[in-house]
Amino acid sequence: MIDRYDWAGGPEAMLRFGPARGPVVIAALPPFEEANRTRTFLVTLLRALAVLGVAGLLPDLPGTGESLVPGEEVRLRDWRGAFAAAARKAERPYSIAIRAGALIDTDAELAGRWHFAPQTGSALVRELLRTRSLVDGLPEGVDLDDPHDNGRPLSLAGNMISRALLRDLHQAEPAPGAAPLRRVALAGDPAEAELRVEGTPLWRRSEPANDSVLAQTLARDIRDWIESCGG
Amino acid sequence: MLRPEGFEQVEDTVRAVLGDVLGLDGGRLASFDATTPLFGALPELDSMAVAGVLTELEDRLGILIEDDEIDGEMLETFGALSRFAAAKALT
Repeated sequence: MIDRYDWAGGPEAMLRFGPARGPVVIAALPPFEEANRTRTFLVTLLRALAVLGVAGLLPDLPGTGESLVPGEEVRLRDWRGAFAAAARKAERPYSIAIRAGALIDTDAELAGRWHFAPQTGSALVRELLRTRSLVDGLPEGVDLDDPHDNGRPLSLAGNMISRALLRDLHQAEPAPGAAPLRRVALAGDPAEAELRVEGTPLWRRSEPANDSVLAQTLARDIRDWIESCGG
Repeated sequence: MLRPEGFEQVEDTVRAVLGDVLGLDGGRLASFDATTPLFGALPELDSMAVAGVLTELEDRLGILIEDDEIDGEMLETFGALSRFAAAKALT
């Protein structure tokens, strides 16, 4: 079902999955190209959770999906504020975030955070700039340490991104927060994690793909973890 | 950080990363040897996929690849990419 939510910048669309009662998760996709590569998988995961009795929310963030906000005007605080506003549509929701989606749930009031292969902002920015430099060369004069660099937005892997947003992201980390945190990583990923699972890093796929077996495994893990946190 | 034990382990990691990024099946991957051509020969391996392959290799092998080290030679064959990765990971 398509619902909507309001944040300081106006209304945005939000997909709803699953039952009207019971525990609720609110999901954050990674930004930019990885969103295209993981969206189908995340929707599969939210549908699997719905079958297990867990409701899901997937808000379009400003500048993404159906949003009318131009992408190059968005700052990280807009995403975080919008996500927090969307989270207020549920009672004690848990966040589920993929990759750099873990940078977006920091300001929301949550019962817990579940992060799959979380990525730091500096790793995300490094990858964006590397891709750009391999595809068409890096424009001169991009200085992530200069807070006054107000040059033109950069076209990175098909997205127009402001230098201010790049600076925001460059310094962003997933927030541990006070709420319980569970990190899940793929086997072969040396990052710290509470659970390791077999599967494909879909966010790397040059052609978007899906992994329904992994979605089922992760849905059961999320359901069990929410129960262990008190529902 | 996980440090690979030897060249074969690096080769296996390179093979797995190419499979994950390019979506190649196991049979095709298993047939890759040192002379298998990569960049220019695999249509799936465009510049954007190259960025994904290199970043994923960095994460899994605990290495750092500078942008000025990236050239056509290291991406020419499966053997060249494995030797480049091994030189980083095993020293």
